[in-house]
Amino acid sequence: METPITDYDEEVKNCSCSYCGNNCDDITYLLKNNNIVGVRHACRIGASKIINDQDQRLLNPMVRNEEGLLEETTWDEALDKTAKLLYESTRPVLYGWGETSVEAIKKGIKIAELSGSVIDNQSTICHGSTIQAFQNVGHPVMTLGEVKNRADVIIYVGTNPMDDHPRHLSRYTTFPEGFFRRNGRNDRTVITLDPKFTNTAKVSDEWIQFNMNEDYLLFNALRTILRGETIEENEIAGVPVEQLNKLINIMKNAEYGALFFGLGVSQTLAKQKNVDVLIQLIEDLNRYSKWSMLPMRGFFNVSGFNIALTSETGYPYGVDFSRGYPRFMVGETTTIDLLNRREPDFFMAISADPGVQFPGYSIQHLTQIPTVQIDTHWGPYTELSDIVLPSTRVGVETEGTAYRMDSIPLFMKKVIDKPENCHSDEWILTELYKRVETLKNGDEN
Amino acid sequence: MEVIINTGTSIIQAFYEKKGSTLKDEYRQSTAVAFMDVKDMEKMSLKPRDKIKVQTDWGEVVLFVDKSHDSPHEGMIFIPKGPWANIVISPETYCCNIPTYKGIPASITKTDEDVLLVSQLMNKTYNKYNLSPENLSDKPIYKKKED
Repeated sequence: METPITDYDEEVKNCSCSYCGNNCDDITYLLKNNNIVGVRHACRIGASKIINDQDQRLLNPMVRNEEGLLEETTWDEALDKTAKLLYESTRPVLYGWGETSVEAIKKGIKIAELSGSVIDNQSTICHGSTIQAFQNVGHPVMTLGEVKNRADVIIYVGTNPMDDHPRHLSRYTTFPEGFFRRNGRNDRTVITLDPKFTNTAKVSDEWIQFNMNEDYLLFNALRTILRGETIEENEIAGVPVEQLNKLINIMKNAEYGALFFGLGVSQTLAKQKNVDVLIQLIEDLNRYSKWSMLPMRGFFNVSGFNIALTSETGYPYGVDFSRGYPRFMVGETTTIDLLNRREPDFFMAISADPGVQFPGYSIQHLTQIPTVQIDTHWGPYTELSDIVLPSTRVGVETEGTAYRMDSIPLFMKKVIDKPENCHSDEWILTELYKRVETLKNGDEN
Repeated sequence: MEVIINTGTSIIQAFYEKKGSTLKDEYRQSTAVAFMDVKDMEKMSLKPRDKIKVQTDWGEVVLFVDKSHDSPHEGMIFIPKGPWANIVISPETYCCNIPTYKGIPASITKTDEDVLLVSQLMNKTYNKYNLSPENLSDKPIYKKKED
C-alpha cells in the first residue's frame, strides 16, 4: 500500500483537470516549493498528466540541423523560421488544438485566415462524423448534471469510459446520488453495447456483445423493434433478437434515459451512418419517454475547438482558408484526406501528436514536407519534426477556458510557474501571427 | 491465423501517453501489445510476452502478446492506439474524414523479431532523417545549445 502524501506546504482546491472531456473541476493539487507533489480526486490518467514526466519535457526551442539532429536554438530563430515556412507554403495544415485553451484556438484561427491554411483538430479522426450528423439534423442534448440528477437508464455504446474517461461513471452518470435518484447506483440500470467485455461492461447490469462492423445493422434492428415490427431472424449482428426485445423494453420504460456513444460507433466501417441511425433511434424513443444523447469526447477541449471554430466560421472543423474565406467539405478539407492525397506542403501540430494518432500511410507524407511541433513533451511526432516549440500545460502552468463534453465552458486555473524558457500556446501563436503579418506586409509593399 | 484488429484506448497506455513518457520502455510494454482471446493463443501455442508479427494490406509490425481481460472475443485482437497500431490500420476514410481504426482484417504469425522502441520505430518506418537506429534509445537525443 502506498502511504498518503503528507509532505506538502500548500493545497490548491477546485482545479480543473486537463485530460479528457469530463473536465473534472474538483481536483486538489498539493504543492511543495511551487512544485506539484500530489493530486487528489483525479483519475489515474488525469493525475499522470498533472504529475508529468519531467525527463521528457521539451524545455528549449529546437531546429533540425544538417545531420538530422534536433539542435537547441533561440525563440526568435525558431519562430522566424516557422513563420517563413508557413508564409511560403501553398497548402499549410494547422492541426491539433484539442489540448489547449480556447484563447489559443482563437489565435490559431486568425493565423489560419492570414496564411490561407487549413485548420483542423482531433475531432476529424474521432467524432467528426458525429458532429456532421448533429449539424445536419440536430440531436436531443443534455448536460452531465441532468444525467446525474435524473437518469435511471444509462446506455454506453462502443465506448469504454472506465478506461478512457475513468471518472465518468463515478462523478456524472452511474454511481452518484442525484436529486431524483437518491440511491445512486441502485436507482439506475446501466447497459453496455460493445464487441468486447470492457471494464465498463463489467460494472454494467447487462453487456450486449455484437459483431464488429455490424453496428449499423444492430441499430436499425432496434428501430424496427421499437416500431412494433417483428424480426424474422433469430439473431442480428450476433445478438439474439430476444435480448434486443428486452433492451427496447427497458429503453421504452425509462423515466429519463441517457445514451453515450464513442469511437466504437464513429470509427467502424459505417462511420457517420451509425450516428445517423442512433440519432433516429433516440428521436423515436422520445415518443415513449425522455431520452438524450452525448458523444464521449476525448481531449479536454476538442469540444471547445468545435464551438470556437463554429462561432467564427460556421463550420466545426477542417476549415480551409485558402480562398480567403472559410470552406468546409468533408473528405476534401479534412486532414487525413489531405495527407492521403499528398496535398499539404507544411504541417504544424499544436498540442497534438500525429505520431500517436494518424495511420502510417498518412504519416508517410509528413516525411516529405516541413513539420512543426508545438507541445510540452517529446513524443513520436518529435521524431518527425523539423522545428519544435516547447509550450506549457493549460490548467497547470497557464490559465484558460475549456469546454466540457456537454458544451459547458469551464475556467482552468494557473497553479505553478512554467519552465523558464517555455511559453504558452497563446504567446507562441501571437508571436507567429506578428511574424507572418510582417512577411505579408513586406511583400505587399 | 486470420484475425480482425480492433484498436482503442487502454487505461495503462493512456497513463503513459498522458504522462509524456512515450519514448520509454514503459510505453512500449503497455502499447505495443496485441491482446488476444485465450483460445486463440492456445491455437497458436502463444504465451503472454511472446511476440507476433501482424500483417495487413497497409503494413506489418511486431508486437508482444498478452491475454485479453475482455474475452471472449475469438478471432479479434485488440491493440491500444499508438505508433505501433498506426502502421497496420487502414487510412481509408471513404471520404468521411475518419480513417478505419477498427475492424481491419489481418494475419498474425509467431516471430522472434524485436519490438521496437518509439524512436527506433519512427525512424525505421518513416526514415525521415536517416538516423542510425543503433544510437536511438528511450532517452531523447538532441544537441544542447553552446553558451
